[in-house]
Amino acid sequence: MTPLLQFAFRNLLTRPLRSLLSLIGLTVAIMAMVGLFSVANGLDRMIHDTFERIPGMIAVQPGAPIPLFSRLPSAWGAEIAEVPGVGVVNAEVWARAQIIEGKQVFSPPRFLFGTDIPSRIKLKHGVYRDALEEGRFLQPSDSGTLNTVISRRIADEFGKKVGDTLRVDGQPLTIVGIYYCDSLFLDVTIILDIDTVRRMSRTGADTVSAFYVELAEGATSEEVIAGVQERFRDRKLNAVDPASLLNMAMGGPAVSDSGAQGGAVAEWIASLLTPNQNPPGNPSIPENPSSEAAENTSEAGESVEELPLEIRSVEDWTSDFEKFSADLDIFLIIMTGIGVTIAVVSILNTMLMSVTERSIEFGILKANGWSRRDILLLIGLESGMLGLTGGICGAAIGWVATLIINFYWAERVYLYAGPGLLMSSVAFSTLLGIAGGVYPAFLAARMTPMEAIRRG
Amino acid sequence: MIQIQNVRQNYRAGETVVQALRGVSCEIPAGAFTFIVGPSGSGKSSLLYLLGALDEPASGEIVVGGRSLSQLTPGERDAFRRDDVGFIFQNFNLLNNLNAVDNVLVPYLPGGVSAQRREEAVRLLSRVGLGDRLDHRPNQLSGGEQQRVAIARALLKRPLLVLADEPTGELDSESGAEIYRHLRALCREQQSTIVIVTHDRSFIDDGDMVLTIRDGRISSE
Ligand SMILES: Nc1ncnc2c1ncn2[C@@H]1O[C@H](COP(=O)(O)OP(=O)(O)OP(=O)(O)O)[C@@H](O)[C@H]1O
Ligand SMILES: [Mg+2]
Repeated sequence: MTPLLQFAFRNLLTRPLRSLLSLIGLTVAIMAMVGLFSVANGLDRMIHDTFERIPGMIAVQPGAPIPLFSRLPSAWGAEIAEVPGVGVVNAEVWARAQIIEGKQVFSPPRFLFGTDIPSRIKLKHGVYRDALEEGRFLQPSDSGTLNTVISRRIADEFGKKVGDTLRVDGQPLTIVGIYYCDSLFLDVTIILDIDTVRRMSRTGADTVSAFYVELAEGATSEEVIAGVQERFRDRKLNAVDPASLLNMAMGGPAVSDSGAQGGAVAEWIASLLTPNQNPPGNPSIPENPSSEAAENTSEAGESVEELPLEIRSVEDWTSDFEKFSADLDIFLIIMTGIGVTIAVVSILNTMLMSVTERSIEFGILKANGWSRRDILLLIGLESGMLGLTGGICGAAIGWVATLIINFYWAERVYLYAGPGLLMSSVAFSTLLGIAGGVYPAFLAARMTPMEAIRRG
Repeated sequence: MIQIQNVRQNYRAGETVVQALRGVSCEIPAGAFTFIVGPSGSGKSSLLYLLGALDEPASGEIVVGGRSLSQLTPGERDAFRRDDVGFIFQNFNLLNNLNAVDNVLVPYLPGGVSAQRREEAVRLLSRVGLGDRLDHRPNQLSGGEQQRVAIARALLKRPLLVLADEPTGELDSESGAEIYRHLRALCREQQSTIVIVTHDRSFIDDGDMVLTIRDGRISSE
């Protein structure tokens, strides 16, 4: 340590309690900063980690943030499979599990994941199958049964092992396999046959939540997106098909356009609701052909945007979440800003008190040839040391806190305070310390040596 | 050589303006051992602070070693105080958070202290009888010892000019005599000019130059 640093350090130790108090203020602020940003960083990491394991694409209802909120016609799966570049298409039905073993599921959530087993096992990479720890994955003979593969977390929560029965929403599921992905996003699913989940969630056979699309060897996601857009350009995603509702209510086969009766009813309702039906004998003549043309092109433009089906690659999902986490960052910056402001005021106060008390000292230093810059340097070192120490303490405590929280609430949260966050909060804290010393230092440096000596 | 030409200094205390120096002119030859004497409040300290560029005069010129102090830039004034002037105060004005050696080295702390300078500081402290007190802080030293540290600090830079404001004012006569012994020896060695403000004429020798100030003016004696 250079003599100047030693000097600055001893000056801080002259008033240990005062230095300690402003150190505590800073430590708490930096701790809060590390804690808050570890939420966002943990989320980012979890998202990236999860998507890295899912190399394929997901086709969902446009605008649906996750497959749970998406509904698509089952029949589209076969059509997607015909798009060039598509390898395997796996139909999925998602539902939320409400009651497990008599306990209401609140947090963390649990999902029923119904998968079309024959196509599922054709996937080259199956995120759950790859993470199987015990037992076996679902096989075609499990179709229509209550056999399930659940995560280690769910198994541990209810003290279950392979071969046991898990009661979910009134159904006694038989555990045939246990997987563990070590991800809060992935370890929430109870994997079943697609028709089993349809029955449990009262979803018609004509409906799926989403399609998981694995690309063929050498195909690019751009190619597949373009192919799917081309194929589904003119399709409409009908709001609700009355025929299928009717059929479901009657317990009949939920097929939309094959049931003769249902189909007739639907057509009748549709004819009543469809606008733009020109009354006979009153043909409308386009008054302005060019305006009509313009309308047509604009309609065409819209139909591209409002595709009935949205197919997204992993990167698209990631960038969606990045937008979300950027919004989260703004919120976190505001929250951190409050704590940081208090910490800066506390340092400012400490340094101001210290500087006014020590004006004789600065006079002596100036009488000994110290320049304004030298005085600024000394005070900057002192407040910078406060900042650095507060930053190190805050970052260390914050980091340990994230580890403890991750350990005790592994089910609910994942916080991540990486070296980047820790180092930048220490740097930030040091800057804050220096900033808090700037004004007092300026006051001290401004006086002539005689003024400084007389003032004391 | 120090030239002082018609120097005035005023202090403002609320409404009233105190004329501390009312046109002081004199010359102090290089290497002279000089005393400034005079009644309390006559302006002795005020003049000394101006010589050391610790303060700026209301008017007049002070030239030290050919340089006019009023024409120095702030940076040059800092350098002048650091390299050319050694100041010794009545109340020692050491820094409590530095040990004896670092107090001696204080002018050089911001720029970094070379090993050679540190050796020189230790040598000077040994010269004034503090070779075994190098690590002691000011509050672990007696007044006389503290003033000897201050002397070492003032002389480490081999200054053109040593300025002392009542350096023995807070010391008993024995310690005072010791301070003068060290001051005289070191200044002779380094050929520094020395100006000492004092009330106590008992330390003035025959060969010394004596300036008497009354009411802010030099009065011949
Ligand atoms: N900061 C100040 N504000 C107002 N008046 C001052 C100030 N400093 C000094 N004075 C006045 O200027 C005059 C000269 O003061 P100075 O300190 O130079 O006297 P001095 O000769 O050193 O006296 P002493 O022997 O008592 O130290 C005094 O009348 C003093 O009251
Ligand atoms: Mg005086």
